Amino acid sequence: MKIGALLGDVFRSLFKPPATERYPVEKKPAPMRLRGKLVYDSSKCTGCQLCAKDCPCDAIEIITIDRAAKRFIMRYRVDRCTFCAQCVESCRFGCLDLSNEEWELASVQKDPFTLTFGSEADLEAFLAKTTGAQPEAETKP
Amino acid sequence: MNTLFALIALMIFPGGLFVLFAGLVYEWADRKLVAQFQNRIGPRVFQPLADVIKLLAKEEVVPVGVNGFLFMALPIAALAATLTAALYVPVVGLAPAYSFRGDLIVTIYLLSVLTLCIGVAGANTADRFSLIGATRTLTQVFSYEAPFMLAMLGPAIMAGSWQISEINAYAASKPWLIIPQVIGFLVALVGLMGKLELPPFDAPEAETEIVAGAMTEYSGRGYAIFRIAKDVELVIGLTLVAAFYLGGIGNPLEFLLKTVVLLLVTAGLQSLFARLRIDQTVGMWWRVGALLALLNLLVLVGLRMLGWLGVWL
Amino acid sequence: MEKSEPKKFVVPIGPQHPALKEPGHFEFEVDGEIVTGATARFGYVHRGIEKGAETRSWIQAMYLLERVCGICSHVHATAFALGAEKLAKVTVPPRAQAIRVLVGELERLHSHMLWLGVAVHEAGFDTLFMYSWRDREIVMDLLEGLTGNRVNYSANVLGGVKIDVDDKQRDDILKGLEVLEQRAQYYLKVVTTDETFLGRTRGIGTMTYEQAELLGAVGPTGRASGVKRDVRVEAPYAAYPDFPVNLITDTRGDLEARFVVRIKELFEAIRIIREILDKMPTGEIQTKMPRRVPEGETISRVEAPRGELLYYIRSAGGDKPDRVKVRTPSLCNWGSVLTTAVGHKLADMPMILSGIDPCFSCNDRAAIIRRPDQPAQAWDWESLRLHGIEYYKR
Ligand code: SF4
Ligand code: SF4
Repeated sequence: MKIGALLGDVFRSLFKPPATERYPVEKKPAPMRLRGKLVYDSSKCTGCQLCAKDCPCDAIEIITIDRAAKRFIMRYRVDRCTFCAQCVESCRFGCLDLSNEEWELASVQKDPFTLTFGSEADLEAFLAKTTGAQPEAETKP
Repeated sequence: MNTLFALIALMIFPGGLFVLFAGLVYEWADRKLVAQFQNRIGPRVFQPLADVIKLLAKEEVVPVGVNGFLFMALPIAALAATLTAALYVPVVGLAPAYSFRGDLIVTIYLLSVLTLCIGVAGANTADRFSLIGATRTLTQVFSYEAPFMLAMLGPAIMAGSWQISEINAYAASKPWLIIPQVIGFLVALVGLMGKLELPPFDAPEAETEIVAGAMTEYSGRGYAIFRIAKDVELVIGLTLVAAFYLGGIGNPLEFLLKTVVLLLVTAGLQSLFARLRIDQTVGMWWRVGALLALLNLLVLVGLRMLGWLGVWL
Repeated sequence: MEKSEPKKFVVPIGPQHPALKEPGHFEFEVDGEIVTGATARFGYVHRGIEKGAETRSWIQAMYLLERVCGICSHVHATAFALGAEKLAKVTVPPRAQAIRVLVGELERLHSHMLWLGVAVHEAGFDTLFMYSWRDREIVMDLLEGLTGNRVNYSANVLGGVKIDVDDKQRDDILKGLEVLEQRAQYYLKVVTTDETFLGRTRGIGTMTYEQAELLGAVGPTGRASGVKRDVRVEAPYAAYPDFPVNLITDTRGDLEARFVVRIKELFEAIRIIREILDKMPTGEIQTKMPRRVPEGETISRVEAPRGELLYYIRSAGGDKPDRVKVRTPSLCNWGSVLTTAVGHKLADMPMILSGIDPCFSCNDRAAIIRRPDQPAQAWDWESLRLHGIEYYKR
């Protein structure tokens, strides 16, 4: 039974620095397992499409450049991704990972949210294709 | 010459603009201290000013079903009353701009005008939150007003004067009045918190129940003016308590030190408690506050009559 | 002032109100400051999740269901995963089950601390609110370090968990718990001894045992009234058979009792986490889960921080669930709010409301009424979506 049971803590706080993190000014290092932006290693990819199929948010699209030569690129929609890591689980070839470095992904425009990963040659090939006659139909695998 | 002096005193210093800004700075200090007690960062020094500027720039919505004139006039009346009160109080440690016998009573009444204005402003609108807030505000007035006044009269009786400047001079020449009148000091300080509706006496504007209480319908200018009025009242209240109980205020440094110490105490009290329900507030004031203040006063009067006040005579 | 009104004076709270962090609508009839009647209305945040789950694969549905609630997300995914695994007759390795329970109990810690903050804020006790949320950061950081996300941890996959606990994480968690336990002790002391705060909780919103049984109160709300009900004890799931939970009850049924029960559950959660970390089963953390789940139906019950959470899952043998029905704990507790509110002061309403640790969005369901002269309507995801858009255009 007393009044002001918090007195001790309130008094001590007077001499403590605030607990608030001054986020944009000071950044804490991200934990190892933090799930940030998706990273894709096209050299290992087999084009099995499992990641795209299991993604709950429809954020991944694997585009085949040349199936025989195992050339694939990935189109990734950061704005849709919920960073659940199901794609990382689903990929049996370890092509995917969620980065713990790139996690400040906000943007004021929509365009930067669509990312295309793949080797440079493949990306060029993809660009050449999409600017061709029927871009939409061609990109669909 | 006289009118010029009067105008300056009224508009710029020590009344008017100066107390406005002092009020904003004290509001900042209060918020910052509470934040510190809560282990947060708190606002930056320009925040209250920025808030006021933003509010002034906003559209003023006059809701349906109110008396438009009252709606506009009440905030102004509240601010005018508190600014007038500032003229009789030794803000920054300078002699009050105006002074006459009995100005203590006038000042106390002027300080109550703000609360009454808020209450009437709430009752003026048709909004249910405002109505309940107004009821609570006015209920609360009746609970702390009497003890606060009694606590203010304590030093007056010791000094044998009803004039603020005289009491101030008396308090400065004697050992601090807080020593014989701890109770009076506490009642005055807590009463001030009640007047300003600071936690734990913020039931009239308990946001989790009735949004912003009586001020729910105010936006823009009206709200800004009410807020400034409250800030000014904070400064005046702190000055009065410091002058009466903490050995008077003779120069700006003393003013700053003493009011900041008081602010520290009030901020600490604000962070210590859960909000009291309005019935608890009233109960507390009448059962404890009023009785203590009355007792304090009676003892003082008795001692004075018997001439047992020692150094304080 | 309000007494002069001939009609009943009704104070509306919500859908938008500072006391409510989610939209809901309450009407309190007041006489002066005394509440004489209370009604509630929900449905402002219906999201069609149950329907949405039917159009997604089993894997995708789990992530959708995890988002039923942002605070107790892990239990939703766990309940669904347990049910789906039962249907598919998959045995999940014990280590995975232990990690599920570990994350679940960490989540309970964070949820109860969040509630503590919200509830004391409703009482205007902002300092305690700030302190408890500051300390909640510890468990949030632990969850982030363990799973990679601060909310919606996505620790589950069908057939196990994604994340393992290594030694470093073990030490981090143990260290964090140390601090949390101390703080919880302190909070228990504050809420049971501070006179001003007790004035707002003791004897307020009292629900007797009979009322609680009658109204079907679940979780800490019911337990504070002496209802001995906790799925973790009655029907242990996941790793709870190996790590038994002590039931925490109180008999007083008022707000103070709810504070006490929830804070004591913090200690219990800390104890369980320590035990799990101490006796963590070894082995795999995942097994293979078929993409098609055999035909059948099941009920999966888990204890969410707010009480019993029930999932009904039916499979038609396909790669998508045929029907998922969720019954969230908040839904069971509303009755207790509306009943106990009557007779209290208006100022106590926010406290009584938050006393059940309400979650609004998980209550909202859409019901389609079938008239006798009409054929049964089957709504699919798309028509539901279009209906929603049309509804809000008006
Ligand atoms: S992390 Fe989840 S949401 Fe993001 S791309 Fe992978 S599966 Fe999709
Ligand atoms: S699951 Fe892996 S291998 Fe298959 S398409 Fe996706 S990234 Fe490529």
